[in-house]
Amino acid sequence: MPWSNQNGGGGWKGGGGGPWGQPPRGPSGGGNQPPDLEELLRRSQEKLKDWLPGGGGSGGGAIGFGGKGLALAAAGALALWLLTGFYRVEPDELGVELVLGRVTSQTTPGLNYNIPYPLGQVFTPKVLAVREISVGQRDFDSARGVPGRDIPDESLMLTGDENMIDVSFKVQWNIKDATAFLFNIQNPEATVKAVAESAMREIVGKNSIEMILTENQRRIETDVRTLMQKTLDDYKSGVEIRLVNMHKVNPPAQVIDAFRDVQAARIDAERLSNEAQSYANKIVPEARGQASAITAQAMAYRSRIVEEARGQADRFSKVLEEYKHAPDVTRERLYLETMERVFGGMDKVIVDQGKGEGAIQPYLPLDQLGRKPLGKGATP
Amino acid sequence: MKTGFFGFVGVLLAAVFVVVSGAAFVVTPTNQALVLQFGQVRRAIVEPGLYFKIPFVQNVEYLDKRILDIDLEPQELIASDKKRLVVDAFARYKIVDPVQFYQGVRTVQGGNQRLNTFVSSAVRAVLADAGFFTVVRDDRAGLMEKIKAQVESEAKGIGVDIVDVKIRRADLPQKNSEAVFQRMQTERQREATELRAKGSEESQRIKAKADAEKEILLAEASRDAERVRGSGDADRIKVFAEAFGKDPDFFAFYRSMQAYESSMKAGDTRLLISPQSSDFFRYLTDPTGGKAATAGK
Repeated sequence: MPWSNQNGGGGWKGGGGGPWGQPPRGPSGGGNQPPDLEELLRRSQEKLKDWLPGGGGSGGGAIGFGGKGLALAAAGALALWLLTGFYRVEPDELGVELVLGRVTSQTTPGLNYNIPYPLGQVFTPKVLAVREISVGQRDFDSARGVPGRDIPDESLMLTGDENMIDVSFKVQWNIKDATAFLFNIQNPEATVKAVAESAMREIVGKNSIEMILTENQRRIETDVRTLMQKTLDDYKSGVEIRLVNMHKVNPPAQVIDAFRDVQAARIDAERLSNEAQSYANKIVPEARGQASAITAQAMAYRSRIVEEARGQADRFSKVLEEYKHAPDVTRERLYLETMERVFGGMDKVIVDQGKGEGAIQPYLPLDQLGRKPLGKGATP
Repeated sequence: MKTGFFGFVGVLLAAVFVVVSGAAFVVTPTNQALVLQFGQVRRAIVEPGLYFKIPFVQNVEYLDKRILDIDLEPQELIASDKKRLVVDAFARYKIVDPVQFYQGVRTVQGGNQRLNTFVSSAVRAVLADAGFFTVVRDDRAGLMEKIKAQVESEAKGIGVDIVDVKIRRADLPQKNSEAVFQRMQTERQREATELRAKGSEESQRIKAKADAEKEILLAEASRDAERVRGSGDADRIKVFAEAFGKDPDFFAFYRSMQAYESSMKAGDTRLLISPQSSDFFRYLTDPTGGKAATAGK
C-alpha cells in the first residue's frame, strides 16, 4: 500500500509530523485537526492510479509484471507498513496507544508495537520529567543568548493592604495522568502559567505586605500550590504541581530604598539601645564601687577617730593616775615643761611694764614688729 | 484474460478504496465530530473511534473536545468605590453541545470571539458592583464564581460549559501605582523615623535609669557613711567624756597644755609678753617668784 510509504516515516509517532501529532503544543484548535483520512486516501488513490499499468489504457510490455509483480509489491508494501508500527518509549516517558481514535493501552519504556498510522497512533508524553515555569522573570536562555530579565507586569502585584510587591516565582510540575493531560486540555503549559499567576495574586491579595515580606513565604507557597492543584484538578488537566518557589519577594524597585532604610533604622535603634546599655553597664558598677569606697572611708574614719580617742583617753587616764599622787608638783612641772617648749621656739618680745602700767605700749610700732627681720627692731 | 482480470481487480480495489476512504473517519479523544449533509447536521459524535458516513454526500466537521482557552486583554474599570483597576482575566470552556455550538458560532475561533465578549462584559458588570478591597483581598474567589455564573447563563445558547473564569491580575493603573509607591515610601519613612526615635527613647531611658541608679547608690553610700562617721564621733565623745570626767579640773589644765603646744608653733607666732602677766615669768624678775608680793597683798 503506497500510503504507508508516504507517511510511514513520522506519522505514527506523536512527536512526528502527523497531522495531529503533538497535540499539547498546538497553539489553538485549528492545529489539531484529526487525520483527514479522506484527503489522505484520495492522494494515495491518485498515486495508485499512476502506478497501475496503463492508467488510462493498457501498456503492452507490462502485462506479465502487472500480475504477480503487483501482488508481490503490495505484500512487500504491507510488510513495510506493518514494520513501521514499532516505536520506542524513553525511560522518562509513557506510551499511550490509540487504535482508530480510542485509547487501547499504555506502555512502559522499551520497544513497543502498535498498529501503524493511520489506524493506530502513539503518544509518548514525558511523564517523569519535571517541568518548570517562571512567573515574573524570564530565565537566562543560554541556547538563544537571551538574558534573564524581570517582567514587572507579571511580578508586581497588589497586597491586601493596598501596597505593591514584587514577586517572582517558579512552579515545578509534572504529568500525573497522561491521558487526561493529552486529551482533556488544549494548552496545558499556558494553563499552568495562567493558573499560577491567578493563584499567586489571589493569595498575595489576602495578605499584608508586612506578612509577605517577613514571615509567611512558606505558607504562601503552600497556599498557592494547593489552590493551583485544586483548579487544575477541576480542569481534569492531569497536571500535578510539585513545588511553588518564591525566589524573589521584594518591595517594588521604586520604594525599595525606603524599605531598606526601615531596616537600617531598626538596626540604628538597636545600636542606640545597645550603646545605652553598655553605658549603663559601665556607670552602675562604677557607682557601686564608688559607693563602697565612700562607705569604707567612713568606716576607716570611725575606726581612726575612735581609736584615737581611746588612745588619748588612756593617755589621760594614765597621766591622771600619776598626777593624783602629787598633784601640785606635777601640775607645776607640766606647766613649766609645756611653756618651755611653747616659748622655746617662738619669737617673743618681752615688755617690762615696770610699775608704771601702760607707759610704753602706745609707742610700740606693732605693725612693724612682724615684718622686721627678727632681732633688729625688737630690741632697740 | 489475465490482463483483463487483474485490471478488473485493480479497478475494483480502487473503487472499494475510494468508497471506504470517503466513508470512514476517525474521531480522536481530543475531538468530537459533526456529520453534515449539505450543510445540515445529521449526527454528532462525541466518543472517539472509527465512524462511517455516506461518501461525497456527507462531510465531517471536527470540534475540539478539550478545555479551551480564552485570554482577555487587560481592561480598565472602575470599582464601586471609584477606584480604578486594571483587570486581566481568563476563562476556560468546553464545547458540550457540538450541534448548538456549530449552529451558533461554527468554529472555535468564532466561539472564542463570542465568549470573549461575554466574559469581558461579565467581568465589567460584576466588578463594577464590588469594592476595590473585595476584588483584591476579601472575595476574589466569590467574584470569580459570580462572573462565571453570569457568563455561563449567557453562553448556554452556544452549547459551551464554562469550566472556570479567573482574574489573573487585578492591579492599579500606572498612574495610581505611582501614588501607591509614593504612599508606601512615605509610610516607610514614617516607620523609619519612628524606629529611630524609639531607639533614642530607649537609649535615653536606659541612660537616665543608669544615671539615677548611680545617684542613688552614691547617696545611699554617703548616708551610710555619715551614719558611720556620726557613730564614730559619738564613740569618741563618749570615750573622752568617760576618761576626762574623772577629773575635769586636771583635764582642763592638761588639755590646755596640749593645746598651747600644738597651736603655738615656732615661726608662726609672735608673742608680746609682759613678764608680770604670766606665772611663767614669775622668777624672771623676782627670785621669790612673787611670793612676797602675793604675801604682801
